Amino acid sequence: MPSSRETFEQLLAAALPSAFGVAIRFVRNRDDAEDLVQEASLRAYRSFHTFTPGTNFRAWLLRILTNLYYQKYRQRQREPQLTELEDAPDLYLYLQTRDAGLHQRSDDPAGLVLERLSMDHIAGAIDALPDDFRMVAALYFIEEFSYEEIAGIVDVPIGTVRSRLHRGRKLLQKSLWQLAVDQGLVAPLTPEAAAP
Amino acid sequence: MSQLDQLTCQETFRRLDDYVDRELSADEMQQVREHLDRCEWCASEYVFEEHVIQGVRERIRQITIPADLLSRISLALDRETVEPPR
Ligand SMILES: [Zn+2]
Repeated sequence: MPSSRETFEQLLAAALPSAFGVAIRFVRNRDDAEDLVQEASLRAYRSFHTFTPGTNFRAWLLRILTNLYYQKYRQRQREPQLTELEDAPDLYLYLQTRDAGLHQRSDDPAGLVLERLSMDHIAGAIDALPDDFRMVAALYFIEEFSYEEIAGIVDVPIGTVRSRLHRGRKLLQKSLWQLAVDQGLVAPLTPEAAAP
Repeated sequence: MSQLDQLTCQETFRRLDDYVDRELSADEMQQVREHLDRCEWCASEYVFEEHVIQGVRERIRQITIPADLLSRISLALDRETVEPPR
């Protein structure tokens, strides 16, 4: 029988990339992300006896990490206010790419946008989302958790996860479009070209 | 399936975000799938949304974790005096 320490470290090693990926989107810098992951791991070890073998260790660890983030990191950060945000319309990126003629240029117009964007671009766009949206987005994009699993991790109702995620995705599309245009994807539309 | 059970484009569109995430009931998943099979317009929206999400996922998962993070955590665990209860 492996010791519980060995079992814990094996599970932790497999979960670490995901935990760090989520942590860095939560705190938005590498140093704090390392501290957050390390402290969450220690807390997880101390309560490892409450973990049910065979259940999702990553979800369990991320719940601990998220609680720690709420307690220690969240208040320290200045957050954009929700009222400052303008919602993006439905299908924002789809319609922008269509109107810019990208649907004629490729069978995969989304790919044309994304190939302009680096990891740093996309990380920056997620990091610009307000806290509540950013946390849900981080868990959603890094992992493939269900809404229910995300709700369990951030401790809000499923309906709230759903609306934050859907709204956050639209806001993200707006940023991605702007970034791709800044990277020279298309010339900005002139008023004449934008007219129907 | 009867005509009455068929979703309109608008009804499909309202379910698209949940469909992408497989968060609809089995019946609704089926109804949306059938609409996408026969409606090129909604299908192209669906494929687009799915590709954006996949693209964001691929990029955002490329984060490199500090090489020594696990060993540092392991050292910190060594310093823990309390063994977790069995
Ligand atoms: Zn349709």
